[in-house]
Amino acid sequence: MVKEYILVSPFTLALFIVLFTSVILIYRLMVGPTTPDRIVGFNTISTKITIVIALLAFLKNEYLLIDLAIVLLMMNALGSLILAKHFEKGGAS
Amino acid sequence: MIEYLFLLLGIILMITGSIGVIRFPDVYTRLHASTKCDTGGAMSILIALAIVAEAPLLIKIKFLILAFLIAMINPMIAHAIARGAHKSGIEPVGIIDMYARDGF
Repeated sequence: MVKEYILVSPFTLALFIVLFTSVILIYRLMVGPTTPDRIVGFNTISTKITIVIALLAFLKNEYLLIDLAIVLLMMNALGSLILAKHFEKGGAS
Repeated sequence: MIEYLFLLLGIILMITGSIGVIRFPDVYTRLHASTKCDTGGAMSILIALAIVAEAPLLIKIKFLILAFLIAMINPMIAHAIARGAHKSGIEPVGIIDMYARDGF
């Protein structure tokens, strides 16, 4: 059985493209005109980091990382929902 | 073969979603681009991983559980952010005026 070199796989290309798009989205997180813009950028970057962790779990053959991805997704949901509810009550303007 | 098609679809959706979040002029249109493209791209990449992984069945079911959770959670967050932004008094930039378009 020939061990496939890890940098040749198309999934590694997908990992680098997802990382590059999340680096692009830091622009929206930093210079967003209003606070919901920043929440949108934060939420999108967190979802992309979840996908990066799942791709690493496949590429490195360590499937324990999928549980970490599920926990990170739930934390992302909780944080964004709390920020949105706090913004709805007029906490930050 | 089909997993690479899913992977290509996911990558294209990720790139278009990021360009939409950068380029759109408003909170609501940015939410539109972010949620639709990001949810679709993430689910496509996770389905491709669940197909191609050389692992027992429980691991593949875990990938599918992650895709299901993304499909449930991500639109809910987008709905909450849009509701909060509207109740906080942020106006949309684009205004559709159908009467003025028709000439009345």
